[in-house]
Amino acid sequence: MKKQWLKLWFNPFERIAGFRALLWGFIGLIISTLLSFLSQWHYHGLLHFGPAPNPAWWCFAVEHLTVWLIPATLFYLGGLLFSRSRIRLIDVFGTVAFAQLPFILMNLFAFLPPMQKMLKINLASLPLQEITEQPVFLASVWISLLSFIFLIWVLILMFKALKVSCNLKGYRLGIVYCVTVIGGDLICRLIIGLCYK
Amino acid sequence: MDTLKKRLPLKCPSCDASLKVGRLFCETCPTEVCGSFELPLLAKLTEKEQQFVIDFIKSSGSLKDMSKNMGISYPTVRNILDDLIDKLNNMETL
Repeated sequence: MKKQWLKLWFNPFERIAGFRALLWGFIGLIISTLLSFLSQWHYHGLLHFGPAPNPAWWCFAVEHLTVWLIPATLFYLGGLLFSRSRIRLIDVFGTVAFAQLPFILMNLFAFLPPMQKMLKINLASLPLQEITEQPVFLASVWISLLSFIFLIWVLILMFKALKVSCNLKGYRLGIVYCVTVIGGDLICRLIIGLCYK
Repeated sequence: MDTLKKRLPLKCPSCDASLKVGRLFCETCPTEVCGSFELPLLAKLTEKEQQFVIDFIKSSGSLKDMSKNMGISYPTVRNILDDLIDKLNNMETL
């Protein structure tokens, strides 16, 4: 029973994939975008978050779409190159969207007062020492660490998404996953960076 | 008391090598056939894999129908099938 429960939370893709996963994932993406807009918590890449100089709603939409579409595209290309199965586009994009659902919970942490206070400080213009001397600095670091649990959850789910949707195993799975997470984060940061110019 | 469900042993319990059929008998008359017969390819699969093959045939090879009936996602069914194809190919080359 406990094993089944854990399986559902950490590998839901044995049960859900394709259009259903895409639908839930897309609803989650809209909610996540809305929460980010309200808290002004930007996604700079797949693994980087924080304040940014563009408060427009479309910037948040671009960030969320990029963070979903870039890793999903890289997964799909990796699957086409390395998988022996006939993979479906809808499974890859659906499972990746579904895997990012915990981002909703991560975004909620940005509403906490220490995070909001830190967001109002222009971190780019302050020296590191002054940032660390802020009264809410320590609290915001702890909150960020706590919120990273949900980022780790997303990364675990994305690993499972790749495994199930592309039927990859062993070193091929490891290579495609690492290239996607690290390379995908870089590409996302480059694309999202254009919104801040 | 539940009746004991016997499973066809596929591996030698002593050395783990694949087993062959050595003796067959008729339940109606006391006829016995002795010899060395190879197990059919599908009989070498595990019970779970054989059930998957049966389900696959019963659903006319539709993975979508299978995923609905089994309550698992389409790519999971496809992955099980692809792994089974790999296993059968390996068994044939041995």
